[in-house]
Amino acid sequence: MATLAEDLLWEIRAFVYRYFAETTRPPSVEDTATRLTLATEEVVSAYEELHHRHAFFLRSGTHDILMASPFSGVETPFHVRANGKTYFANCAWDSLGIPAALHADAEINAACSQSGHPIQLSVKAEQLSKSDVLIHFLLPFREWYNDLVFT
Amino acid sequence: MLFFRSEEYLKQWLDARRVSHGAVLSVEKVWELSQHWYRDRLSPEYHGRTTEQVLGIFKRLDLTSEFWGVG
Repeated sequence: MATLAEDLLWEIRAFVYRYFAETTRPPSVEDTATRLTLATEEVVSAYEELHHRHAFFLRSGTHDILMASPFSGVETPFHVRANGKTYFANCAWDSLGIPAALHADAEINAACSQSGHPIQLSVKAEQLSKSDVLIHFLLPFREWYNDLVFT
Repeated sequence: MLFFRSEEYLKQWLDARRVSHGAVLSVEKVWELSQHWYRDRLSPEYHGRTTEQVLGIFKRLDLTSEFWGVG
């Protein structure tokens, strides 16, 4: 495999995030190759390298983007409505991360993981609505990248 | 990271799964953390963070317990 230029690698990473922000979904290898006028093999290599560097994470055994935090590539119970679109966040923290990343107002809809009670939060002008909701971090920071899905 | 309406619901959730208590933050604190963690995530100049930079964010937010450390 030819070594990809660093600039191209980060250009692809930036495109993936821009695509997520614009569409709420991750770009496939083919989407990225077409939009950036690259060979499919180059994008495959870049996705693998960016996964290796924790810039985003691929679904095991595929080149499908599972997570580009705070965005999720699959539907989750953490819904974030912003800029007229509904995004899926990877977790409670990332549901707040989406309005922070987009610099946008947002409505967050999720549920208490034990009781199932609805949880609704809103962000307006970078201010979070009052709430006594708690967020539990299961694993300490030093273990976050050992098993990201479990984390 | 999961939402809970109360400490009691969190305890029930942990007990049911027999997993250890991690760290609990208010949603306001996590919003503050999110603003530091994610505000530049869409920038083409964002190329990730070093561990030292991450620890710097935690320190600014007074997240200084062992849970937030690398040791």
